[in-house]
Amino acid sequence: MLNVSKIVVRLPNGKRLVNDVSFTVGRGEFVSILGSSGAGKSLTLRCIIGLTKPNEGEITLTGPSGQSYRTANVSAAELRRARRHIGLIFQGSNLVKRLTVLENVMLGRLGHINPVRSWLVGFKDSEAREAMVALDQVNMAACAGRLTGSLSGGEMQRVSIARAIHQRPLIYLADEPISSLDPRNADAIMSILQPLSRDTPVIGAFHQPAVVARYCTRAIGIRMGTVVYDGPAQISARQLEHIYGESSGESFLPHRDLDPQLPFFGPDMQPSLREGVTI
Amino acid sequence: MVSPSVMLFRQELPFLEWRKGIACQRWKQAAIAAVLLSLTALTSWRCNVDVQSFISGVDKGIPLLGLFFPPEWSRLVGMLQPLAVTVVLAMAATILGMCLSLPCALAASSNLAPPPLRLAMRSFIALERGLPEIVQLLLLIAIFGLGVVPGLIALSIGSIGMLAKLLADGIEEIEPSMLESVAGTGATRSQVIRYAVIPQILPALFANGLFQFEFNVRTSIILGAIGAGGIGYVMRTSMLSMDYSTACMATLLTLALVFFTERVSDFLRARILSGGLLR
Repeated sequence: MLNVSKIVVRLPNGKRLVNDVSFTVGRGEFVSILGSSGAGKSLTLRCIIGLTKPNEGEITLTGPSGQSYRTANVSAAELRRARRHIGLIFQGSNLVKRLTVLENVMLGRLGHINPVRSWLVGFKDSEAREAMVALDQVNMAACAGRLTGSLSGGEMQRVSIARAIHQRPLIYLADEPISSLDPRNADAIMSILQPLSRDTPVIGAFHQPAVVARYCTRAIGIRMGTVVYDGPAQISARQLEHIYGESSGESFLPHRDLDPQLPFFGPDMQPSLREGVTI
Repeated sequence: MVSPSVMLFRQELPFLEWRKGIACQRWKQAAIAAVLLSLTALTSWRCNVDVQSFISGVDKGIPLLGLFFPPEWSRLVGMLQPLAVTVVLAMAATILGMCLSLPCALAASSNLAPPPLRLAMRSFIALERGLPEIVQLLLLIAIFGLGVVPGLIALSIGSIGMLAKLLADGIEEIEPSMLESVAGTGATRSQVIRYAVIPQILPALFANGLFQFEFNVRTSIILGAIGAGGIGYVMRTSMLSMDYSTACMATLLTLALVFFTERVSDFLRARILSGGLLR
């Protein structure tokens, strides 16, 4: 079970990119986070895996036998311990392209492997066999020996799911796993994720409400960093408008320059040119 | 139809502005040319460059060139050993440089190393690259005496400087999301380096290493002439003893060596970069 409680991510200038986001995800759930680009979906997921540090709030992951892991504002060692139990399904293009497909799958369990062994020995055959099982689950076993960079986008996405499966996590996080795929590949990916969610909850950020309605069990709508919808995955048109808003193109990602842009025809322009334009 | 006054503002005034800019540029170019020419004239006058000695040098040089031919073919076999010394020196320095440049590059890259370490390593590299190989060799000869050892050390340090800079730039170009996707499994920093950084930069290491080898072959000939042994030393001693046909033989061998190494390294580099050689 994952419990996200009142997380806040602030820019240095005080702007809140994620504002008091709270939710709990339990067994059997396939949760979709919806929202326009820059609404804070990815940032929320990044906080859960600890790639972004929230300024406030608590994130707790609880296992079936009562063990619990925290990822918000903890030491590096504690964060690594928690990450072992979070299966990150990222955009497939983030696989290590110069490693083989099977090696990429085996990377999923790096957190359980002693770094010294990683350098001196590498992976064991038993681990490779386990990874083959995960790879077969996404129908990619035949490609085990291929170089990952030579795969197509849909194939890479499946490998990244296999990597998360091999990790045997307590929860899966999927950051826009289908946004760069064609509808058929997207369907294929979703029908891999849906059965996974029966045993282990899946949280994903998606852009396609129709796909979400078909596969997910629950949706969380985020708008400008705040949760504005939390309920069934079948969302009405009015509720969708509420989530996406009129200014859906607006972005609040941190890398975006938030200062007002100088007008193109500023006071430093040649006077003659400025006059020429005002006519 | 646009009225003439609008045309004046929209086209004529910007055009005049443009023409003024172009005229200004011409003046600047003429001024730069004048400064360069007068600097050349001034410095050659101050350094007592006189055309007389150039002409008399050409007069002496042409009959001297005749002394180089025919080359002393009987010395060919005897020169193979110093030639091998030159090649081995370059090769050993390249391999040593490649091995040592990897940790230096890791320490110099902004996405892996903490800022103080990065700054220290970048300044070491900049310092090393600012000191020509010949200056380093003269310093090392003062320490180790004449021979292959100071040559090897000077060339290795030079290789580290060059390769570490290129590799560090290559490491900084790795997408952060790829490193994050590996770190997200709970991997330690050393495991991220082992499984994400090294596979991605290995081709660059070898391709740049081959370039460095070509460069090292040429430099080891020059360093040989100063006192590091090898074919450069043979060339210098035969020139000093006015044994010009032997010098000619050494020159021919040098040409053949440089040509050959370039061909081999081009061939291998093409294979590496196309991905055939390193898996």
